[in-house]
Amino acid sequence: MSSLCFYVSSVTNAMRGKSVLEQNNIRAFISRSTDETVQNGCGYCLFVSSDFKKAESLLQSAGIRIRGKKQMNDAL
Amino acid sequence: MIFSPYNTVYFDNAATTWPKPLVVRKAVQKALTDYGANPGRSGYKMGLAASREIYRCRETAAEFFNLKNPSNVVFVQNCTLALNIVIKGLLRNGGHVIVSDLEHNAVMRPLYAISNYLTTYSTAGISPENTDETVEFFRRCIRPDTKAIICLHASNVFGTRLPIREIGRLARRHGIKFVVDAAQSAGVLPIDMQADCIDYLCVPGHKGLYGPMGIGMLLCGSEQLLPPFIEGGTGSYSIEFGQPSELPDRFESGTLNTAGICGLLAGMEFVKGIGIRQICEQETAHMRYIYNQLRDMKGISLYTPCPDISRSAPVLSFNIEGRNSEETAEALSRKGIAVRAGLHCAPCAHRCFNTISTGTVRLAPSVFTTEREARYVCRVIRAIRSELK
Repeated sequence: MSSLCFYVSSVTNAMRGKSVLEQNNIRAFISRSTDETVQNGCGYCLFVSSDFKKAESLLQSAGIRIRGKKQMNDAL
Repeated sequence: MIFSPYNTVYFDNAATTWPKPLVVRKAVQKALTDYGANPGRSGYKMGLAASREIYRCRETAAEFFNLKNPSNVVFVQNCTLALNIVIKGLLRNGGHVIVSDLEHNAVMRPLYAISNYLTTYSTAGISPENTDETVEFFRRCIRPDTKAIICLHASNVFGTRLPIREIGRLARRHGIKFVVDAAQSAGVLPIDMQADCIDYLCVPGHKGLYGPMGIGMLLCGSEQLLPPFIEGGTGSYSIEFGQPSELPDRFESGTLNTAGICGLLAGMEFVKGIGIRQICEQETAHMRYIYNQLRDMKGISLYTPCPDISRSAPVLSFNIEGRNSEETAEALSRKGIAVRAGLHCAPCAHRCFNTISTGTVRLAPSVFTTEREARYVCRVIRAIRSELK
C-alpha cells in the first residue's frame, strides 16, 4: 500500500497536522524525517495512506507549512 | 482542614495554589517516569510520546482560552517571562503603552527597565463599580503612538476585576494591541481570547490552573512577529542560525519542562472538570463569609466592597488596626495559617488603595478551602485583635 509523506519543520506542526487530519477522518502517522533531516536540519514526517489531496488541502488551510512531500511504499 | 507537614491552613493561594490535585501530582510523576525523553528532538517512541503530551496541553490551553491555533500556545517559565517577552518585544522600537493603576511589578518593572525618551507609559485609573468609566479612563490615555494596552484581569492584592472585554474592544477599535496579565484570574474567571479581543494572554501555570511551579504560558492571538527573547535549539530548522519564525518554536529555545507541562495539562483538566464558575462561586462564598465576619469586628480595616463574583476575584485584603501587616501575618502563622503580607509585589495597587505605608494581609482561597478553615481564620483574627485591647 502506498502512502504520502508530508515533511513539516517541527514536532508541533506534525502533531497539529495529525490532529487536523484525524478530525477529518484521515488517519495519520508521525515519524522523524530521514532525507529532509540532511537538507533542513531536523524535521518530521506526517504519513497518510489515503485522501492525499484532501489531506494536503487541510494542512494548508490550517496554516501548516509543508516543506516537501514524497510518495512512499508500505510506510503505514 | 488540610494539614501539611507544617500543620498549615493555607490561604496563600494567590501566590501559588496548594495543595495540588492528586491528578496533577500523578501526572508529574508519570511524566518523569514515562515521558523522560527530550520532546521534539527525536523519532523514537518515548520522544514522540512526550511530544504528544505536550501538544495535548497546547490543545487544551487553546480550547480553555478560546484561541484558534494550538501552535500559538507558547510554554514559558512563568507569567512574568511571558509579560517580559511581550512588553519588550512590542516596545523594541519605542512607543507608548497604557497600564492600569493596579499593576503588578511583573508589568511595571519591565516597563520601567525600558522606559526612556522613546518608550513611555500612561496609567489609567479604575472605577470598580463603573465599567464605562473605567473604559473611558483608558480611552483618554490613547495617543497616536500608543502601541498597546497592558493590564491585569484582577488585582492580586484586592481582587478588583477589570472589564477586559470592554477594554479589549476599545483597543481593537483603535488598532492597538491588548495584553492581559491573567496571573490572578486564569482558572477562576472566564477568559475568551477572541471575544475579549486579547492579542497576548500571559498565564501562570501554578496558580488557578493548579499546575506545578516553573511553568507558564504565553498565548498569542496576534500574528505580529515579536522578536525572540532568547535564541537556541528548537529541534526545527537546525541548519539555519536564524531563530525560526514559527510559533511556538520562536519562543521555546532549549528543552521544555515536560513534567511541568504534563502537570499543567492535568491541572487544566481538573479545573474544566469542576467548572470555572463553580470554582469562583465556591471561593467567593468563603471570601464573603470572612469579609462579613471581619466587617463586624472592631479594629479591622477592609478596603473593598464585599467580594462579588461579578466584580472581583476571590482575594481579600485587610489589616488589624494597631499592627502592621507583617506582624499580623506572623501572628496568623503562629496559629498555623499561611497568608502573605506586605506589598505583594504590587506597589501601584497599594498606592491606589492608600496602603503603601502599611501593606495589607491577603487571604486567598482555593477550590480545596473549606468552611471550617474559613471559620478558623475568623476565630484566630478575632483572637489576635483581642490581644491588642
